[in-house]
Amino acid sequence: MTDAADIVAQNVLWNRLISVCEEQANALMRAAFGAIVREAGDLSAGLFNAEGQMLAQAVTGTPGHVNTMAASVRAMLDRVPADKLRPGDALVTNDPWLGAGHIFDFVVVTPAFIEGRIVGYLASTSHIVDIGGRGWSAEAASVFEEGVTFPVMHLRRGRVLNEDLLAIVTANSRVPHEARGDILSLLTCNDTGVARLADLMAEYALRDLADLSRFIFESSATGTRRALARAPQGVYENHLMLDGYDAPIELRATMTIGEGRIDVDLAGSSAVVARGINCPLNYSAAYAAFGIRALLTPDVPNNHASLEAIRITAPPGLVVSAERPSPVSARHVIGQALPDLMLGCLEQALPGEVLAESAGALWTMSLSGAGATEFASLNVALGGMGARPGADGLSATAFPSGVGAVPVEAAEVAAPLIYHAKEFAPDTGGAGKYRGGLGQRIEIGSRIGEDLSLSAAAFERLSTGPAGRQGGRDGAAGQVQTTDGTTITDKGLYRVPAGERLILQTPGGGGFGDPAERDPEALARDREHGMVSDEAAKTIYGSNTNGRKTK
Amino acid sequence: MVRIAIDIGGTFTDVVAETPDRLFSVKVLTSPRHPEVAALNGVARVMADNGLSLTEVTSIVHGTTLATNALIERRGAKTAFVTTAGFRDVLEMRYEKRFDQYALDIEMPEPLVPRPRRFGLRERILADGSVLTAPETAEIDALADRLAEDGVEAVAIGFLHAYRNPAHERCVAERLRARLDPAVTICLSSDVAGEIREYDRFSTVCANAYVRPLMTRYVERLRAGLTAQGFDGAFLMMLSDGALTTVDQAIRFPIRLVEGGPAGGVALAAHVSREVGSDRTLSIDIGGTTAKICFIENGTPRTSRRFEVARAWRDTKGSGLPVKVPTVELVEIGAGGGSIAEIDTLGRLKVGPRSAGSDPGPAAYDRGGDEPTITDAHLAVGNLSAENFAGGIIDLAPGRAPAVIARDIAAPLGIDGAASAAAGIVELADETMANAARVHGVELGLDVARFDILVSGGGGALHGARIAEKLGIRRIIVPDNAGVGSAVGFLRSPVAFETALSVVEPLSEIDRPALAARIAAAMDEVRAVVAGAVPEDRIACDIRAELRYRGQGLDLALSLPPGPRLEDALADLPARFEERYRDLVGFTLVEVPVELASISVTAREARTVKAAHAAPTRPAEDPGRTRAIYDLGARATLDYREVPRDAVGCGTAHGPIVIPEAQTTTLVRPGWNVRRLPEGHLLLERDAS
Repeated sequence: MTDAADIVAQNVLWNRLISVCEEQANALMRAAFGAIVREAGDLSAGLFNAEGQMLAQAVTGTPGHVNTMAASVRAMLDRVPADKLRPGDALVTNDPWLGAGHIFDFVVVTPAFIEGRIVGYLASTSHIVDIGGRGWSAEAASVFEEGVTFPVMHLRRGRVLNEDLLAIVTANSRVPHEARGDILSLLTCNDTGVARLADLMAEYALRDLADLSRFIFESSATGTRRALARAPQGVYENHLMLDGYDAPIELRATMTIGEGRIDVDLAGSSAVVARGINCPLNYSAAYAAFGIRALLTPDVPNNHASLEAIRITAPPGLVVSAERPSPVSARHVIGQALPDLMLGCLEQALPGEVLAESAGALWTMSLSGAGATEFASLNVALGGMGARPGADGLSATAFPSGVGAVPVEAAEVAAPLIYHAKEFAPDTGGAGKYRGGLGQRIEIGSRIGEDLSLSAAAFERLSTGPAGRQGGRDGAAGQVQTTDGTTITDKGLYRVPAGERLILQTPGGGGFGDPAERDPEALARDREHGMVSDEAAKTIYGSNTNGRKTK
Repeated sequence: MVRIAIDIGGTFTDVVAETPDRLFSVKVLTSPRHPEVAALNGVARVMADNGLSLTEVTSIVHGTTLATNALIERRGAKTAFVTTAGFRDVLEMRYEKRFDQYALDIEMPEPLVPRPRRFGLRERILADGSVLTAPETAEIDALADRLAEDGVEAVAIGFLHAYRNPAHERCVAERLRARLDPAVTICLSSDVAGEIREYDRFSTVCANAYVRPLMTRYVERLRAGLTAQGFDGAFLMMLSDGALTTVDQAIRFPIRLVEGGPAGGVALAAHVSREVGSDRTLSIDIGGTTAKICFIENGTPRTSRRFEVARAWRDTKGSGLPVKVPTVELVEIGAGGGSIAEIDTLGRLKVGPRSAGSDPGPAAYDRGGDEPTITDAHLAVGNLSAENFAGGIIDLAPGRAPAVIARDIAAPLGIDGAASAAAGIVELADETMANAARVHGVELGLDVARFDILVSGGGGALHGARIAEKLGIRRIIVPDNAGVGSAVGFLRSPVAFETALSVVEPLSEIDRPALAARIAAAMDEVRAVVAGAVPEDRIACDIRAELRYRGQGLDLALSLPPGPRLEDALADLPARFEERYRDLVGFTLVEVPVELASISVTAREARTVKAAHAAPTRPAEDPGRTRAIYDLGARATLDYREVPRDAVGCGTAHGPIVIPEAQTTTLVRPGWNVRRLPEGHLLLERDAS
C-alpha cells in the first residue's frame, strides 16, 4: 500500500519546483530591458538536478529557449566541472552552439549549495538587446561578425562579479548599460531561484533532489509513453520548401515512431548557406520537439525525461545543423519552420488530427536610422496560425513561437517611427471547412523624414504560403514592399527612403478540410466581417448567395 | 442615523442595516432579470423586521457584480468602436500571442465590438502628442449618420496616443454627441483609462461603453425605488479598488464597478485588521469555487491598475478581456469547497480548478454530483460534521463522501483508506493556496512569514491553520459576522476616487513646474468627485509616481506629497528610486536614464468610520464533546475537542479544538491555541516552541 502522505508530498514538491521556476521567470521579465523580452516573453527559466538534468521549467517563456537550455546546463558543466564550483559562483555563455542558437541569447547557470554540496542548478536565458557585430540582420558571413561570443566562463566567483566580462560587453554593445543590466538580471533571477529552492528543501528536510528526480522522471516517462502510444508506430517522411536567403531551402525529416519514443533524422535538408539564417542543431531540436510534444503530449510537463523520449539528429553542416563558424543570427527562420515539418510527418500517422501549416517564423522587423538620427527598433509581425481540426486558425497570432508583438504606442515611444496601419489582411487565411488564421498588413514610415534601414532577414514564406490539410487550401504567401516600388524578395538589407513607407503583409495559416463543407453561417460571418471577400466566397467556397449577407 | 449596504451577488443579495449600536442583516435570493427588485425587497424587509424607516437612513452603499455578469454573458449594449484609421483590429489582435504554449485548441475571447461595428477615422496624434492629421468634420458627420443608421446604443472612442493628447477624442465625441440621439452613450479612452498601450486602453473603453447603458438604467431604477420608499440620503457605490463613489461618477465609469463585491470582502478584512491592530494581514477568502488572496498592510489593501474580466477559455489567465482600472489586487485560485479532486494523466493527485460549484455540488450533497470535492474530503476526514451543515440549509448524504474518495482517489493510487486519501486532498488544497500566497508575496517583495492570516468565506477557517504552518505564519484572525462580509465591508469603506496620468519621460527632462500643474489639475478633478459625498475638510489626497529605468518593465511606485512641496519632491525622485531599486533587485544601473512612467492621484475620505458591535455575550456552555479527525502528518486520527463558537472565551484554550458555527468551521490544530478578542473575533496563535 502506498502512503497518502508520501504521494501528496511528492506532488506538492513537483508543483513547488515549477513554481520556483515561474517565480524566477517573472523576476527576469520584470527586470528585462528589451521590449521584446518584457512585453513578449523572449526568455526561459529552469531548475536542474545535481546531474544537470532538467527537473522543471517555467510555464512563461518560449520553446526555443526552454528546450535548448535543457541541454545547455550539461554542456556547460562539461567545460567547468561541478567540483570546481563554489557557493556564489555563476557560469555564463552566449555561444550559439551551447546556448539558444544565436549570440543574443545569454544563458546563466547558478549552482545551488546545501551544506557545502551542490544539490541542483538554476538556469535562465534571455535575449540581450545588442552584443556588437552587425546587430540584428542576416548579413554576417560568419559568426565572428555577429558579435562577441563568450565561451563558458564565470560571471561571478563567490561574491565577486566578473567585471572584465561586463566591461567587454559594455565596450562592444550599442546599448552598453542595458546589456549589462540584462546580464545582471539573469544573475539576480537565478539567485532568487536558489533561495527559494533552499527554503523548499529546508521546509521538507530534503538533503538532495535524488528521490524527487526519480519520481518526476518516472511519472513523466510513463505519461509520455502512454501519450505517444496514440500514434501508430512506423516511419513517416515529410519535406518543406522555404524561400531561403536568396535561393530556396529544403527541409526534410524522417520520423520513426517506435515503442515509447520518436526519432527524427533531418538528413536530406539543404546544406548551410552563406548568410545568417542557418540553425544550430540544438535550436532545431528544440522546436522540432516542441511541435511533436504540443500535438502528442501537451499535458506532460517539460523536463529531462519528457524530452528524452524525442530524439532529433542530423548530419553536420546542414542548414538545420550548422556548425561554427556559420552565421546564425536569424536562426529562427529555419528553427521555427520545424514544427510544421514535424506536424506533416504526424499527419501521416494520425490523418485528420493535425492542424494545418502556420505562418511559421516570426517576422522580425528590425528597423534602424539610416539618416542623421541613430536608433534601432525591434518588433515582430505575426501571421496566421493554421486551421485546427474542428476550429479556425488564430489570426495574427504567434505559432510556434511564444513571442507576441510590442504595442504600437510603445514602439513609437521607443523609436522615431510611425505605424500607419496594422489590420487583418482579408483572404489571407487558407480556405477550408475550418479557415486558416489571417495574416496582417502593417505600414510603417519614419516620423522624422529620414531614411530607414531594414533587415529583411526573417521575412519568410514570401514565395509559397503555409499548406492546408485534408483538402484545405494554402494560406496566402507574405508580401513586403516599399511605396517607392521596391518589392522585397530576399533576406538582405533594404533602404526605405525618407517620405516612403514599408508595407508588410504576413502569411495566413493553411486551411483544414474541404472549403465546400464550411458551415454557411461561419462563411456568412467571415464575409460580414470582411475576413473573406465576396469574390473569394464565390470562387473558392462556391457560395451561391450573391453579395452581402441578407438580414 | 442608519446606514445601509446592499451587495448583489450571483445567487444571494445581502442587505445590512447599521445603527450606531446594532447591525441587522437579511439574505434574499437575487432576482437576475431585475436585480433592483430583490434589493428593494431586502431593504424593505430589514427595515420592517427591525422597526426602522428609510427616512432615517443617511446613506446607502451598493456593490454589484452586474457589470461583470453583463460582460461574461455578453448582455451589454450594441456598441460601436471608433478608432484611428488602420487600427480597427487592435481590439481583436490582442497581444498576438497564445496564453497557453502547449494547448493547440485554445480560443481567444470574442471582442465586445464585432469587426463590422469597428470604424477607422482618419486622424493621427504622434507619440509626443503632436498632431499629424486632424480629423475632418465631413468624415465625422458621415460616421455619425452611419452609427445612427445602425442603431448603436453606445460608442467607444479610442485613438492612438490619446493618453498623451486627448484633443481628437474630445472633438470627435463632441461632434458625434451633437448629431446622435442623446440616449447614445459616448465614452473616451483618455477619460476611462488614460494610459499607454493601445490594446489595454481600447479594451477598457469598449467594456465601459458596453455596460454603461445597462448599468445606468439599473441604477436609476434602484434609486427611484429607494426614493419612492422615502429615502433621501447619500447613495454611494463600491468600486473595484475598495473605495466608494457617487452614483453619478459610478455610471460615468461603470467598468470601475466590476470587482466591487470582492472588494467589499477585502474592505471588511482591512477593517478587522485595523480593529485588532494587525499591521500586515494576508486575507484568504475561500468560497464554493475559488479562493481569493489579498495582502493588506497597515489596514490598506494592495491595489493594482489592471484586471482581467470574463476569462473565456477554461478560466485560464490571459483568456479574458483586460481592463485598466484601479482594483484591489486579488489573486484568485481554483480551489474552493466545490473543487474536484482527480488523478491526472500522469497518475498524479490534483485538486481543482475544475469545480462542481453549488450545482450539482459535492458528492455528499447528493444532488447529482459524483466526483470527490474538497468539501467531501473535509467530511471524510472529520473536519466537517454532517450534523447542522451550513446551518441546516443543506441535508447531506455523508456516506457518499468517503465512498467517492475511496473509488476515485484511494483505489487508483493504492492508498489504504478513504480518510487518509481525503486528508491528502485537503493537504494538496492547503498547499495550492499557501503556494499562491507565497508566490504573490514574493512578486510584491513581501516577507509572507511576517503577516497574520485573516480568513473568511465558508472554508477559510478550515484551511487557515495549515496554510499558516506552511507559510511560517503565527497568528490567524477569524472575524465575527463573516457571512455577509462584503456588505459589511461596504460600510467600512471610505469615499475615494483615483485617476492616472501617463507621462513616459526621462526624469532629467521633465518640466517640473508644468508637471506639478498637471498633477494639481488632476487632483482638483478627483477632489471634485469625492466632494460630492464628503465635506471638503475631510478629504485627503495622495499622489503616487511610477518610475523605471528606461527600457525596463520593472515599475516602482513612490509616493509624493500634495501641495507646495510637490515640485521639490519631484526633484528627489531619482535618489529615492535608486534606493528602492537596490533594495528590491540588489544592484543599480549606471547611466541608464530613470523614466517617469505614470502618476496616479487619489482623493480619499479621511477614515473616521466606527463599527457597531454585537454586545459581548457570556460564553455558552462547553458541551464537552470530542470529534475524531484524521491527521495526515500523524497518520492516525486525533481527538479534537468540539467547542461551539459562543463557548470560546477570552482565556486561552489549546488545540486540538474544532469550532463549528452556522456558516463555517474553525480548526485549531495541535500546536495552536485560541481565544476570543474583545471585538468578538477569534484569534488563533501558534504555541511558543
